[in-house]
Amino acid sequence: MESIAPFTDDYLSNLNLIRQEIGQNADVHIREFSFGQTAIRASIIFVDGLSDRDLIDNTILKTLMNDSVAVMVQENSSGDVSGSKEFFINHVLSIHEILECRDVYDLRTKVLTGFTALLIEGAANALLLNTVKVKTRNIDEPVSESLVRGPRVGFTETLSENTALLRRHGENGDLLFLKFQVGERAKKELIIAYMKEIANPALVEEVKNRITKIKIDHVPESGYVEQFIEDNYLSPFPQVQSTERPDRVISALLEGRVAILLDGTPFALIVPVTFSMLLQSPEDYYERWIPSTFIRLLRFFTAFASLLIPALYISFISFHQGLIPTELAISIIGTRQGVPFPALLEALIMEVSIEIMREAGLRLPKPIGPAIGIVGGLIIGQAAVQAGIVSPIMVIVVAVTAISSFAIPSYNLGISLRLIRFLVMFSAAMFGLYGVILFFLLLTSHLVKLKSFGVPYVTPAVPYRLSDWKDFMVRMPLMMMKRRPKMLHTKEPTRKG
Amino acid sequence: MIPTRNDRITTSQTAVIIINFILGAGILTLPRISVEKAKTPDVWISVLIGGLLAMFTGIIIVKLSQRFPDKTFFEYSQEIAGEWVGRILSLLIICYFCLTSSLQVRSMAEVTTFYLLEKTPTWAIVMVFLWVALYLVVGGINCLARMLEIILPITVLFFLVVSLMSIKIFEIDHLRPVLGLGWKPVFDGIKPTALAYTGFEIMMILVVYMRQPNKAVKAVVVGISASLIFYLITVVMVIGAFSIDGVVTRTWPTIDLIRSFEITGLLFERFESLLLVLWIMQIFSTFTLAYYSAALGLAQLLKKNIEPFLFGLLPVIYIITMTPKEINGVFALGDFVGNASIFLFGILPLLLLIISRLKVGKHEAKSSS
Repeated sequence: MESIAPFTDDYLSNLNLIRQEIGQNADVHIREFSFGQTAIRASIIFVDGLSDRDLIDNTILKTLMNDSVAVMVQENSSGDVSGSKEFFINHVLSIHEILECRDVYDLRTKVLTGFTALLIEGAANALLLNTVKVKTRNIDEPVSESLVRGPRVGFTETLSENTALLRRHGENGDLLFLKFQVGERAKKELIIAYMKEIANPALVEEVKNRITKIKIDHVPESGYVEQFIEDNYLSPFPQVQSTERPDRVISALLEGRVAILLDGTPFALIVPVTFSMLLQSPEDYYERWIPSTFIRLLRFFTAFASLLIPALYISFISFHQGLIPTELAISIIGTRQGVPFPALLEALIMEVSIEIMREAGLRLPKPIGPAIGIVGGLIIGQAAVQAGIVSPIMVIVVAVTAISSFAIPSYNLGISLRLIRFLVMFSAAMFGLYGVILFFLLLTSHLVKLKSFGVPYVTPAVPYRLSDWKDFMVRMPLMMMKRRPKMLHTKEPTRKG
Repeated sequence: MIPTRNDRITTSQTAVIIINFILGAGILTLPRISVEKAKTPDVWISVLIGGLLAMFTGIIIVKLSQRFPDKTFFEYSQEIAGEWVGRILSLLIICYFCLTSSLQVRSMAEVTTFYLLEKTPTWAIVMVFLWVALYLVVGGINCLARMLEIILPITVLFFLVVSLMSIKIFEIDHLRPVLGLGWKPVFDGIKPTALAYTGFEIMMILVVYMRQPNKAVKAVVVGISASLIFYLITVVMVIGAFSIDGVVTRTWPTIDLIRSFEITGLLFERFESLLLVLWIMQIFSTFTLAYYSAALGLAQLLKKNIEPFLFGLLPVIYIITMTPKEINGVFALGDFVGNASIFLFGILPLLLLIISRLKVGKHEAKSSS
């Protein structure tokens, strides 16, 4: 436990205290100077790179080292500088945020986040001037969620920039940002955003609760927060939605959900999340409802396909050849001639190699990544077939499955489904179609038990609520969606207008 | 600890549970069982009358349960009939639920071995099924309700599609003449068809968990009517395709119906695999309900937490499931359970309702005097 050392009246001992505390850091600069031509000594302490040098040079130092200021200070305080702090704050320093600090510990934490400390001879307390220089990158289109139609705006790594992006969605006094700190050793700012007239207070309370319970040294990315606040850490399914798109966050907030933004990452979190949300894309609402509905149905199909196709292939080939049309069965068996492995092993070889290719494609530099993936896939597939390791039908099955899994809009859901696919394949190899059904029942049982912040994961599919079905598999015309999702128990159940 | 009642279910969920519980093994065997007894193509009339009877009995059960809005049968039976009689009755009903659940699993295993997995041993089929069911049931009644809500639309949709496709081999002459043999065989068919509707007895437990218990009658009526439509379609389609002589010789006439036609040009020419998939899901829902009810009964009888009973009942159900030596043993067990259910759910609730009315009458007489 650190002993808190309060500042004294003695300028030099104060400065020594600061030197001892943070002076040995290479990036901490201490600049000593005097007010104009007077003998009143002062010093500023700042961190190189975090603070705005222009501001320090042109505003702070220039003003303080100016003669006229020195005269004013002397006139005002008649030589006693200790009472001049108010005068400095009110008349001299044109900085938008000035804090007072009484001890060196407080000073240290602020200076290390980019504040500049001003220590004046004769004054007991140091002033902290907000000179934080925010380095931001340009606002780009989100990489992980690109759309054909929709705003080309994604979050950046800067929290203030991100909250500003959310504010910019339109004039709305409802939008509330609550600030929290996470991380025990390295503290980071975290913001909970919600609409105070819409969001269910119990939900907001629950989010706050779980956020304050996070006990960890350091939170580098919102993925950490996600793992701490999710309901069931044993489940393969994501229970928190992460997104880079401000428009997505805003529409979630307007539905009555809560968003969590962390400094230093462009990924915002949305809670609560349901399974169907992970299969939706903001574009569903930007396009007209008929094509959107079609695409949504397609996505539900791809989710099933990426999960079940290899398993169904295995069960039909190894157990129930009788159940597929005779001609198809004959042609499949024909192509499988010379393949020395059982269907499970054949499927595993191909599935594992396509997973490896996918992973390798991610790590490779951008320009060659996709090319290697496609070419590698084609060549390996072709060669594997000619070498008689796998059958051509298997290659088709694996390819369709892979494409289906990439069509799922949520990246993390895609991963979980791919993972589960292997389990289904094993159960299909053991029990055939029966195994697939049982696995489906097991999976559904799991989904049915899962909750995200009190909301059952399978809503709005069940329990049957017709008003929530308007935005489920079918995306009804916008003017028909007058109610917010009932599952969220919002304060205001109907949308305006 | 008494199982929590905080997680209540909606009226539509209750109706879904009733439908799922009714449509178990019956849908595959009902045409044969009813025709065996009645020997007339008019069994669809028996199905209709049986359904109405079931509805009547279901309403009695609901009325009885509504008199004790915060108790299940296992609790209020002791209040009506006295502690010991109530306990024995509860125990009988728990046994009934155990037997039905075992029966469901066994017929599922028989059908799966026959049509899907010829070489896989029955114990393996049964065991994985039980494990998956255990995983679901531990989640409680609310998860169960959500699960059934997911299963039911899938089953209904595909079942209707598949059975409508069999219209190709449907011949109306197999169903005519209506009432050609008079009313007597129709009445003979009522008993087996009415038994196919057992499942509404779940209301003995369910009313407590409803968010709006006053709508329980509505749930029962909707639930039984939906099952009635299902059974009507099945019986009419199967008899229309095979005639009554053809139905009697087939063990699982409904599956054979789907097997007996092919539609070329589609990915699957034969749809019995699809039907089996749906039916296994249906059995799963029936089984988990019966299993949960049995465990709940034991838990409430002994005033303990439900989890240990869920785990403890699993081996018991497994043993009962594996007891019948062959398929006829299964059907014999089914007959026994059916006869038991006539007493337990046809006569008993009515008796209890009358007794409880009389008791209240006495109380009122006492308090007024």
